Amino acid sequence: MEFKTILFYLFSAITVVAALRVITARNPVHAALFLVLAFFNVAGLWMLLQAEFLALALIMVYVGAVMVLFLFVVMMLDINIERMRQGFWNNLPLGALVGLLMVGEMAVVLSGRYFGLANLPPQNMPANYSNTKELARLLYTDYAYPFEIASVILLVAIIAAVMLTLRGRKDNKAMHSSDQIAVKAKDRMRLVKMSPEVELPAVAAKEGE
Amino acid sequence: MLDNYFPILVFVLVGLAFGCVPILLGWLIAPNRPDSEKLSAFECGFAPFEDARMKFDVRYYLIAILFILFDLEIAFLFPWAAIFKEIVNTEAVKMFGFVEMFVFIGILVVGYVYAWAKGALDWE
Repeated sequence: MEFKTILFYLFSAITVVAALRVITARNPVHAALFLVLAFFNVAGLWMLLQAEFLALALIMVYVGAVMVLFLFVVMMLDINIERMRQGFWNNLPLGALVGLLMVGEMAVVLSGRYFGLANLPPQNMPANYSNTKELARLLYTDYAYPFEIASVILLVAIIAAVMLTLRGRKDNKAMHSSDQIAVKAKDRMRLVKMSPEVELPAVAAKEGE
Repeated sequence: MLDNYFPILVFVLVGLAFGCVPILLGWLIAPNRPDSEKLSAFECGFAPFEDARMKFDVRYYLIAILFILFDLEIAFLFPWAAIFKEIVNTEAVKMFGFVEMFVFIGILVVGYVYAWAKGALDWE
């Protein structure tokens, strides 16, 4: 057997085992760490397909950013693991239905003629072949419009994140320069009309005591 | 092409061995005779007062989510830089690749300005 084939089976086996542990691990922190392991092995598989950019982007974006956030959330979040397990059997039929639907969809896509694994024989690329450049040539010319749409989706995500999580702090002492410039004398000082007060003679005040 | 990555595979294996072998050796050959005195906290150690999981300020997540979004933006810059010389002067449009990427970054700068103006980047 060729060395690459051995590597492929090694990476695939670890990916499958790690993915299984993600959904069976009791501790959510362990599940997140197994997901990191699965991502690393999928990156190895992509590397075997000579898709270096995708492999490294997977590690940089998913392992480096997304999974760190996930770990951060599950480690810090105030969740009761025992209470989360309640209702497992009640939710199982719906979950199983959704899972089966997804498996069916994937099977249709992978076996259909659009994906066409049979039409793509594995080929050995020369040493100077760059998958990154091939990818970029398609992405930045034929798919330029979807590429710009992607930036709009990222913009929506930024605005949604700010809207959902931004809470003004009560003890915030930051200055608002526009408010300071727009302020008028009327806002700062109020002139009140009132009748003049008459000072009582000192003797009368003493008698009153 | 894959031959170029063989040193990295060796590097990964050495890294794995560096982490796993000492633990395995310790587990295999170190004597293990625990008793309640040995396993209890001593000197500066003490039993934990409460659970480590607690309510956490949501602003940490906001910063982390913003980081991920701009991290994705950076990921799009790498393949663009790899073929910049090819697409900056296509037959059809001059400066096409250049303008394309600046439209992309410009749309994201709108989000950056929005987050900044809303005070999402202020800590105190």
